[in-house]
Amino acid sequence: MKEQVEKALAHDRYAVSKLISIFEDSRPEALGQRAEALALLERHPGRRSGTILGVTGAPGCGKSTLIGALALRMAELDPDISVAVLAVDPSSPKSGGALLGDRTRVRFPPDTQRLFFRSQATATELGGLGPGSFHVCRLMHLLFGAVFIETVGIGQSELDVRYLADRLYLVLQPLGGDEIQFMKAGIMEVPDAIILNKCDQGEAAQRSYHALKSSLTLARPFEPEPIPVYQVSGKTGEGIEGLARDMLDAARKPGAAGMAAKEDYFFAKWVRDEWGRMGTEFLSDQVGGPRGFLDRAKSFDAAQADFSSGVRAWLAKPRKGE
Amino acid sequence: MSAETKEGAVGHQIVGKGGQPEREQPWIFRTYAGHTSARASNDLYRANLEKGQTGLSIAFDLPTQCGYDSDHPIARPEAGKVGVPINSIEDFHILFEQIPLEKMNTSMTINATAMWLLALYVGVARERGVDQSLLIGTTQNDIIKEYLARGTYIFPPEASMRMIAQMYEYCLEKIPNWNPSNICSYHLQEAGATPAQELAFALATAIGILDLIKERGKFTEEQFERSVGRISFFVNAGIRFIEETCKMRAFTELWDEFTADRFGVKNEKYRRFRYGVQVNSLGLTENQPENNAWRILLETLGVTLSRNARCRALQLPCWNEAMSLPRPWDQQWSLRLQQILAYETDLLEYPDIFDGSPVIRSKVDDLKKEARLEIGKILDMGGVRPAIESGYMKSALVQSMAERVRKINTGEMTVVGVNRWTEGIPSPLLSGNDGGLFKIDDASVKETIDALDKVRKNRDEKRARKALDVLRKAAREGLDMMEPSIECALARVTTGEWAGALREVFGEYRPATGIEGQHLGLENERVAAIRARIDRLVGELGRRPRIIVGKPGLDGHSNGAEVIAVSARHVGFDVIYSGIRLSPEEIVQSAVEEGADLIGVSVLSGSHLELARQIMNELRKAGAEKRINVVLGGIVPSGDFEALEKIGIKRIFTPADFGLADIMDQLVGLLEESPE
Repeated sequence: MKEQVEKALAHDRYAVSKLISIFEDSRPEALGQRAEALALLERHPGRRSGTILGVTGAPGCGKSTLIGALALRMAELDPDISVAVLAVDPSSPKSGGALLGDRTRVRFPPDTQRLFFRSQATATELGGLGPGSFHVCRLMHLLFGAVFIETVGIGQSELDVRYLADRLYLVLQPLGGDEIQFMKAGIMEVPDAIILNKCDQGEAAQRSYHALKSSLTLARPFEPEPIPVYQVSGKTGEGIEGLARDMLDAARKPGAAGMAAKEDYFFAKWVRDEWGRMGTEFLSDQVGGPRGFLDRAKSFDAAQADFSSGVRAWLAKPRKGE
Repeated sequence: MSAETKEGAVGHQIVGKGGQPEREQPWIFRTYAGHTSARASNDLYRANLEKGQTGLSIAFDLPTQCGYDSDHPIARPEAGKVGVPINSIEDFHILFEQIPLEKMNTSMTINATAMWLLALYVGVARERGVDQSLLIGTTQNDIIKEYLARGTYIFPPEASMRMIAQMYEYCLEKIPNWNPSNICSYHLQEAGATPAQELAFALATAIGILDLIKERGKFTEEQFERSVGRISFFVNAGIRFIEETCKMRAFTELWDEFTADRFGVKNEKYRRFRYGVQVNSLGLTENQPENNAWRILLETLGVTLSRNARCRALQLPCWNEAMSLPRPWDQQWSLRLQQILAYETDLLEYPDIFDGSPVIRSKVDDLKKEARLEIGKILDMGGVRPAIESGYMKSALVQSMAERVRKINTGEMTVVGVNRWTEGIPSPLLSGNDGGLFKIDDASVKETIDALDKVRKNRDEKRARKALDVLRKAAREGLDMMEPSIECALARVTTGEWAGALREVFGEYRPATGIEGQHLGLENERVAAIRARIDRLVGELGRRPRIIVGKPGLDGHSNGAEVIAVSARHVGFDVIYSGIRLSPEEIVQSAVEEGADLIGVSVLSGSHLELARQIMNELRKAGAEKRINVVLGGIVPSGDFEALEKIGIKRIFTPADFGLADIMDQLVGLLEESPE
């Protein structure tokens, strides 16, 4: 593990990748390995404390191309910075599999060790992140100076990234009509900055920019200062430099609250999911599934009461190996 | 006018100028050829011309088509593989040695770099003292179908279309017998297009070019009319030869109608649908390959039977094309088929034999109606460019292809030797010393690269730099790039430098992949069983198994890789689709970064051995060769299986393994053998 950590800090791709795999691993034995790796890293003088930059927006608004261009430009502007990208895409609810295609739009030169890209699937998780996203960020921010996390965010329920990112950017495209939907869903209230992509589209882009500016005042009436709106084009490169510079500035200020502050939310979420899983397991394995249980209890309300007492009794029983 | 002096069709006879019955002149006989090096290809061309071939059809290798010099890292494994490598005018001088340019009809299958290859051809003519206005031929130059199906695009649509328009503007007066582009429906059929889609997409592309030429306003009305007459087409003919006959008649009629109605072309001559053909390769099978000879014959009928819609030039694939590039003998065999049809049979003695057939008429009308509807849809979107950029055309094709695969998988479509009558006596054609296959001499690349080094060393460096600067400026400012390209050719600029300069200005394009929304017809019980096995693996590994799917090298036929990617997700893999034109280094880097269990690569260009070797080397460099398994799909002769396995490839899938469920089954099996 020690060697692995040393190599990962030097950005050896395979070492970084193997460490990430430990942080994505759902088996109980991975818990110990994770703790060991983190302990080694936190003591290490060479560790970074990278800023986590969340980028979210509707599918097709050009997030991947944009992040690719930004990461490359950041690396050009600052010879010391290292940048990692974690791109999260949804899984198929039917097969559980996922098609992760963001890599086709992000191409880093193979000889640059400072840039790293990893795809992740949401699996069946709600919130827009994968089960391992939080853990992987805990690792990555110690290895890289800036960590992009890209998620599809089209509703409040997909915005867990806001609890993970130090700075959250919402990407919009001209005349996408997204801002209306986002206003309704309350999403406009969340990000720290907005990126209006595809500003190469001339007049349409200008009109969108002004519409956006006015709708922002409506959406966030109590803020002393409006949040920044960047006009860029991932395609032509327009506006990328300015945004990259601002992101570098953000990256140089280490995430003030650090990872510890984020643990609260993700631990609570884990508890919710884990206990939900346990309850579901009890329901299907111990009491004959929802129908059987309801039939026995005679009514929905009685079933709710019975279930709570039943599950407590089940948990109180000693388990194998305990 | 009395019956004796009337020309044209009279009863069942064709009557010539003197009132005498005549045979129709046959089409141009070509063979799509080129490989290894300029020298080897020149030998081949001269031999083919001696055998009675009447025109040249030049196959370029992928680096030349994608604008790379043979010594570029991504190009080297592909140099000389599927065509001839051309790095500079010196290679072109060798390629056409002892072939009189002024008498030759030369067709070049070249697209993104078409302007460059035409510039080289003009350059050779000028240096030989041949009047360039005498040059006759065609540059394929249809970028739309590259985005859709064939994959050798470089620049974004706007810049690419501008280059095509400029070639029309240059050629009309300066090389009047040149077809600046040849709109291809060929590759659309290979990508799964239905006949109506073929008609619609090809005609919409031609309309798009003419719209652009008109919009640019460089031509007078009279010149524009002539330029309409320069548009030619390159089509495919499939095995359903009656329908194909009707498709060709529909093409001819539709083009006549569109040029008259939309563009107001008065002269009937300029409205004529002029087309060349390569008959279908998609339907050629690796199983019982000798059957392909019959398929090729039947496919030929669709484009030759109608006198009113007969091809102008024909090239036939070879019986062993699903397995390797053809040998000279295979090409000769295909050429002889054309000669027998044209000279032994009575085909060319009759006027159109379908005129007045109600069945043919009705089918042609149906196809026309369907095609007009689709063309209308594309024009409503704003034409082919928006329809490409939005991914509309690509996803339409991907759906048609998935439908075809589904029909073969379910047996709804019969393919003899593949899903029916699969048992047969092994073909004696495959039992020769060479196994019935063509082998490229790997050492020949060195010769090509040495010649390239020499050109770079011996040229007037100042002149070359200056020529490139002028080209860049023209590209940036929207000026004519054709003359600057000719000056680059004369100044011994290389293919990679020419394309590199334009890449700087225009950037590189990555089109929509169309991999979403496919319906694959995978059987449900088998899928359920595979999903259950993957779920077990998820428990064992603590995560979902991951596979990287991508295409190394320059070959851009991405359909196979896309179908595999979608199928793998369908059975429950996390699939990282990394796209096309990747160096082995990039693929391995992706696999390493992504913590993948499997790499699946698709190679159709014949460079599988070299690419496999490089991928395994890169894996070893990363220390991941034991952890990440590599499987390969593509056109791989069975003779290479052993070598590939020795290199370390764990599974090989060829066109014979059409069952997607079987392929997925094998992939999961591979992981079950070696978890972690």
